[in-house]
Amino acid sequence: MELIDLSADVLIIGGGLAGTNAAMGAAEKGASVLVADKGNINRSGDIGGGVDHFLAFLNEGQEWDTQNAFLDYVEMIGRGTGHLSIIESVYCAELPDAIERMARIGNPLTQADGSFYRTQSMGQPGTYWINFNGKRLKPCLGKAVRKLGCTVLDKVMMVDLLTHQDAVVGGIGFHIRSGSFYILQTKATVIATGNTNRLYENPRINPFNTWLCPFDTGDGQIMALNAGAALTNMEYMRMTLLPKGFAAPGFNALVGMGGRFLNSLGEYYMEKHHPMGNRAPRYEVVYFTLEEIRKGHGPIYIDCRHLNENDLIHLETSLGYDKDTLPDYFEQRKEDLRTKPVEITVSEGMQAGPTEVTGSGIKIDKNSAATVPGLFACGDASDHNRCVHGAVTGGYKAGKSAATYAKGLTHGDGAPKSIIREEIDRFMKPLHRPSGYPYRQIEDAIRKIMAEHVGPMRTEGSLKCGLEKLQRIESYLDEMKATNFHELMRAHETRSILSVGKVMATTALFRTESRNKPYHHRLDFPDTDNTNWCGLVVFRKDGDRLSCSFEPTT
Amino acid sequence: MPPTFYMKKCTGCGLCDSICPADAIYMKEFEDTSVPYLKYPDECWHCGSCRQDCPEGAIEIQFPPDMLCI
Repeated sequence: MELIDLSADVLIIGGGLAGTNAAMGAAEKGASVLVADKGNINRSGDIGGGVDHFLAFLNEGQEWDTQNAFLDYVEMIGRGTGHLSIIESVYCAELPDAIERMARIGNPLTQADGSFYRTQSMGQPGTYWINFNGKRLKPCLGKAVRKLGCTVLDKVMMVDLLTHQDAVVGGIGFHIRSGSFYILQTKATVIATGNTNRLYENPRINPFNTWLCPFDTGDGQIMALNAGAALTNMEYMRMTLLPKGFAAPGFNALVGMGGRFLNSLGEYYMEKHHPMGNRAPRYEVVYFTLEEIRKGHGPIYIDCRHLNENDLIHLETSLGYDKDTLPDYFEQRKEDLRTKPVEITVSEGMQAGPTEVTGSGIKIDKNSAATVPGLFACGDASDHNRCVHGAVTGGYKAGKSAATYAKGLTHGDGAPKSIIREEIDRFMKPLHRPSGYPYRQIEDAIRKIMAEHVGPMRTEGSLKCGLEKLQRIESYLDEMKATNFHELMRAHETRSILSVGKVMATTALFRTESRNKPYHHRLDFPDTDNTNWCGLVVFRKDGDRLSCSFEPTT
Repeated sequence: MPPTFYMKKCTGCGLCDSICPADAIYMKEFEDTSVPYLKYPDECWHCGSCRQDCPEGAIEIQFPPDMLCI
């Protein structure tokens, strides 16, 4: 096995939307940068194939279009799930630069005439979504990162962080084709690995048919946890609504243009259940949709037949921006937005932020720093500033902060080589076993346990049962067999998925109330208790000891 | 199982193999030339990156029966 030693000021783990912006932020501050990604940063991550939405206030004159009004909106839909001060000092402060940067790299958020095309949904007081053509956004970001001189390690999976004297000093990983092992010694490290998918049983059969990127498997959160970093908001099981057989995003576009949720009785149920109707917050739409299905009012549809010609033309033109292949899917399934409602369903569950504007993952501060020196986080892997707008702004902020931290160190002490060698052998074990279980067999069991015991209807009993079963399946992790480096990658992803599942069940057990139902719905504590639970559940690992604590939001 | 490769157009440049985020597309030798194939069809996310970036327009997307029928 080839060993490759590299060093730099800053290591970025994950080169998706957040990671590429972090690389730009660090490099433009003068730091030397390494970027490692399981894929190719030109097309990796949630928006690899494209994206069509970016959430922003633009100060264009309306009273809802200001920073203060935006923060009121965050408080309204995400009360108790995020610190406004962190959103203010990261997302709000970085927003003007972020909009300018997208234009500078060649994928502006504007239309051809220079205007913003804005739509409203998900509980917003005004048109906070900028609808744009982001099909070339990742190739543009990849090019910008390489042009800045960053060293890009495509197809390299990072498996652990290096620590020395309680600080993070880089990471180790392997090339998923050649098996070359990388030892990356850096002064600062940014985690930008997205949320956790393939965690719950998938209603569309194939566990890779997910809403968010199925190759985002919580690796960064677990590496950070093992290095001593705190996680928050891990109890929330995010879900959305999707076309029945294809987990393609598109909900924002359809609802933003005026799509209406319809049950099989012909009722527009959201207009009956919620004062904001179809444009209610996402978790409310999912909650009432689950209720409709339980009442026997399914199947559920989204109806766009009433839209005017201009809106339909815009929708048909832009539907493939968020998911390139969605127009093909509609055509092959013989769906037609103009003539009939499209059947939709509730997605698989995932570990991700409880709202578009509050996150779940590595606990960060106003500088996007984690709770361990030398470690920073951004995008869907961090507990603030997620989604597209959060990844672009928070990524850049994390990169800048990491560069500043690295420059402030007089010298960086690396981890001792002897320890690293032992670690490498440990991570290669699935390749050397004469026999064992394929990763998929273990992972399918995890998804089943999560769906049945840690799902949208939780109780103390179900969560304890789920934890016990997850611990039982954990004993088989050391019996996984990989026949090549691709399978070795998947086996390590399975480990991360199981660890995230355990954290989710443990934190869900700790929070004895319900919040943002159905994302955290305790049937034994069905009410939201703002007196005792308006804040974040903080999860830590200290050696073998796991702990939960509560941090009120301010 | 998308994507489908049209060998009459494909020049074997390997870009689809390089950018596939699933690590699902690999190249193999066939009649003295290099051609792409879908090694892990179940892991395709249908993101369409390969089709968008193929310089020859040699890739089409065909959804499998389970996705079209359920």
